[in-house]
Amino acid sequence: MTASNSFRSMISMTDRSPTPALLLGLVLTLLTVVTYSWYITLQIDGLKSVQRDFAGRNRKDSLQLLRAQNDLNSLALAMRDMLDNEGPYPLTAWSAQFERIHADLDDALRLDEQLAIGHRTPEQREYLSNSLQQFWDAVNRAFRLAEEGKEAEARYQVKLSLLARQQALSITVARLLVENTESEEQTALYVNQIYNRVQRHAYMFLAGTLAAILCTGLYLTFANRKLFNRLSVLSAQRSELAQKLISTQESILRHVSRELHDEFGQILTAIGAMLSRMHRQSPAAAGLCNDLLELRDITQSTLEKVRGLSQSLHPVSLDEADLGTTLDWYLPNLERQTGLAISFEKSGVCSQLESSVRVHVYRIVQEALSNIIRHSGSPRAWVRLNYQPGSLVLEVEDRGVGMGTKLSHHGIGMTAIRERATLLGGTVEFLRPLEGGTLVRLSLPLIKTEADRDETSAPTLPEGPASMALTR
Amino acid sequence: MNRRDFLRHILMAGASLPAISWPEHMDLGFRFSEVTNAAGIHFRHNSGAYGGKLLPETLGAGCAFLDYDADGWQDILIVNGMDWPEHKRQRTTLCLYRNNRNGTFSDVTREAGLDVEMYGMGVAIGDYNNDGFPDIYVTCVGQNRLFHNSGNGTFIDVTHASGLGNRHAFSTSALWFDFNCDGLLDLFVCNYVKWVPEHDVFCSLDGTRKSYCTPEAYRGETCWLFRNRGNGTFEDVTAHSGIFDTSSKSLGVAMLDYDLDGWPDLLVANDTQPNKLYRNLHNGTFKESAVEAGVAFSSDGKARAGMGVDAADFDNSGADGIAITNFDNEMIGLYKKMPGGEYQDIAATTDVGLVSRNTLGFGCSFVDVNLDGQLDLVVANGHIDETVRFIRSGVGYAQSPHLFLNQGKARFSDVAHNAGTEFSRPKVGRGLAYGDFDRDGDLDLLVTTNNGPVHLFRNDQFSGNRSIRFHLVGTKSNRDAIGARVQITCAGETQSRMVKSGSSYLSQSELPVTFGVKHHDRVDRLVIYWPSGRTEEYKNILTKRAYKCTEMRGMVFQYGF
Repeated sequence: MTASNSFRSMISMTDRSPTPALLLGLVLTLLTVVTYSWYITLQIDGLKSVQRDFAGRNRKDSLQLLRAQNDLNSLALAMRDMLDNEGPYPLTAWSAQFERIHADLDDALRLDEQLAIGHRTPEQREYLSNSLQQFWDAVNRAFRLAEEGKEAEARYQVKLSLLARQQALSITVARLLVENTESEEQTALYVNQIYNRVQRHAYMFLAGTLAAILCTGLYLTFANRKLFNRLSVLSAQRSELAQKLISTQESILRHVSRELHDEFGQILTAIGAMLSRMHRQSPAAAGLCNDLLELRDITQSTLEKVRGLSQSLHPVSLDEADLGTTLDWYLPNLERQTGLAISFEKSGVCSQLESSVRVHVYRIVQEALSNIIRHSGSPRAWVRLNYQPGSLVLEVEDRGVGMGTKLSHHGIGMTAIRERATLLGGTVEFLRPLEGGTLVRLSLPLIKTEADRDETSAPTLPEGPASMALTR
Repeated sequence: MNRRDFLRHILMAGASLPAISWPEHMDLGFRFSEVTNAAGIHFRHNSGAYGGKLLPETLGAGCAFLDYDADGWQDILIVNGMDWPEHKRQRTTLCLYRNNRNGTFSDVTREAGLDVEMYGMGVAIGDYNNDGFPDIYVTCVGQNRLFHNSGNGTFIDVTHASGLGNRHAFSTSALWFDFNCDGLLDLFVCNYVKWVPEHDVFCSLDGTRKSYCTPEAYRGETCWLFRNRGNGTFEDVTAHSGIFDTSSKSLGVAMLDYDLDGWPDLLVANDTQPNKLYRNLHNGTFKESAVEAGVAFSSDGKARAGMGVDAADFDNSGADGIAITNFDNEMIGLYKKMPGGEYQDIAATTDVGLVSRNTLGFGCSFVDVNLDGQLDLVVANGHIDETVRFIRSGVGYAQSPHLFLNQGKARFSDVAHNAGTEFSRPKVGRGLAYGDFDRDGDLDLLVTTNNGPVHLFRNDQFSGNRSIRFHLVGTKSNRDAIGARVQITCAGETQSRMVKSGSSYLSQSELPVTFGVKHHDRVDRLVIYWPSGRTEEYKNILTKRAYKCTEMRGMVFQYGF
């Protein structure tokens, strides 16, 4: 399967974006959380209601009943004091104490009435109310007797009637307290059931959430893998495209250069020869003779320009000589044309590189120097070509403004340098020397290959690391 | 200071807040020096304890500052118990110490005719017959005693002659006050529980050894109110006045003007029973209003073990606030009068509540110990059970007193640990009274201990704060002017004091009133509201002086300090 076929199949596989599925999952998750929150809120409200309406109210009611019980006990103590009275006080002295207890007891039972509406039968209410009424009626009768000076009769009333009624009231209140306690136990049981239910549901929600997280994680992993595969194919396609573009460009340049040199050079040379012959055969008329000479000079000048253009498009030495020689020719020309002072250093044992490698390295030098001229503002540049065992290192350095953070925004030139380096299986670094400016360093591995490539063909590169013939 | 140090300091400050609320090194500007022995006071309380653990043994006794010889110098009376009849070992009586006017006292008990053996508990001082000499009422387990001051340095027991005899009870605190504003001092007596040695209940903490019972084991007893007939006798008006209440178990009583109507009301501290606030209805009767006033129970609705009580205008609002000491783990009740008329317990929001959680308070008094114009709170502490340390860690039998310095805006800090070594030493404190025995213008303290010595603490001022003192003499009102309210305005700040009997626990402080005025050299305005209803006003009065103010006759300089 070719790369293009592979790409097409990959595109068809990844046509479906994971975003809708993820969005759907997110919406479902949010809906689940909202639903569960609503459920929890409902349960908490229910608990609050139970605690407020039942437990809290019951507790408050019990407190009022305890208060009433305490009042009844105080009444019992007061009555015992009345019966045991050895002091100088008449029974009527206790009336204020009874009134205070009466007021407090009424207040406690009034509050009890309000708090115990839910679980008090009408019969219980009526019995308690009647018992109290009868008790206070008996109290009033006893104090009336005491006021009338009938202390003994009043004491008899207290002993016979009041103590028994107080005892009955105390038992009634105690029963109500027991009922409250039982009701409280039932409420506690109900609350416990709610807690257990909520706990069970919470575990279920947790399990569901974990399952959802697991599915989402698996789906994301799968989608990511597909995306990375697609990116790899795209990257391969881009490299392939770049290689083809570069190959096409080099092929065109080579072709144009050869055409200029071979075709137009021959034609212009022939024209120049014919003009020279016509000059020699023409009469000595001054006018015609001078015109022929002038025409021959123009033709010669045009021929030189065509040859120069041919050289600049694709130096012949690239095909016939080594890289150093080509640069020896190219760099002085550039100095003359641009005014940029260029120092060129060669070191190491010169290796015979493949023509395609020479072309790519030459183009990289051209691009790097072009960047220096256009962007760096540096008046000087250094080009260093270092042959090392197994590798070639090319450095182009300047003392200009440097590339700084704009490295990624330098346009197609830098991209072309990177692509060519990639095509050669090498690496390129854009460094900032301590002295300032920019240092472009190209490192190429020199690998001996079996294949003897056709140096005249367009410079194409095999897939994988750059390869070149190493000859000495 | 880096962040870590800052956080460490914050944490340390937070951790130490309950224990240290006033810097150790800070000079308070005063100190309480123990001068008991130097003053010639060698008293030791006899509770009669022989191992029987009888209830009264752990509750006594009280003390008082009084000027029994009317020489203008405060004398001291200390109440004593006695051995139980079947366990006689020694003879002990109350002690009266005459002020020698040089910082020392002489024991004049025998000469005064007070060497009477009785199981004394508390004391109330008042000139009930308006003869210019203070009389003494001693509450006892058994028969209380009224000693009439004959004016020649001797006292006569007039208990039976006055109609107060033939009454046997377990009486505790008492006070003199003119509840019907007839110019005669009436008598209010607190009774604790119905108790006689023969019916003492066996209580035990460990199930084997007898220990002191709590009052729940006994039935309550009504307090008594005796109206002064003006002929040397008293009428029991307990039942008629609405005071009668057999559920009360009263230990402390303070007079105050709860409703600011000029008539004296009473606040009774009850042990394990709701406190009682008896509001004077101006017709010889009282209405019990403690619940509606918010002082009957603690803020969580519990009847606490009220012991001592005092009422005073501690926030200079013109209304009396209240302090009630309670059992350990119950906190002191510090009540502030709110605009609506009810009281709010602010102890829990101040150091007072926090610090008093582990102390059992008895005597308590609002005293301006540093003369800064803010009433501070002094509390005598001590547990009732010697074995309490085995039951509650952090609570001892002997306990340090509290001295809550009033810092204004209802903020108090306990500075007892910095107010004197002997003062802060743990003791089994009970009674507490204050008075200026050395006439230097500041208030000294007298603290009794149960079955132990008495402590006289002299107040030594270093701050330069000044004071002004007023000794009120009633003419139309009762001669001691008990119930009179004195109000001064100094530098824009108004303070008020009531001339009162009773308060604290089983004790009574001096009758003259003392105002701290910081460094001010004069008081702008003085107003006296006499119990008779008369109001007198004076202006521009020099401080660092004591004055005698006689009703309808004006004010005279007494002495300077």
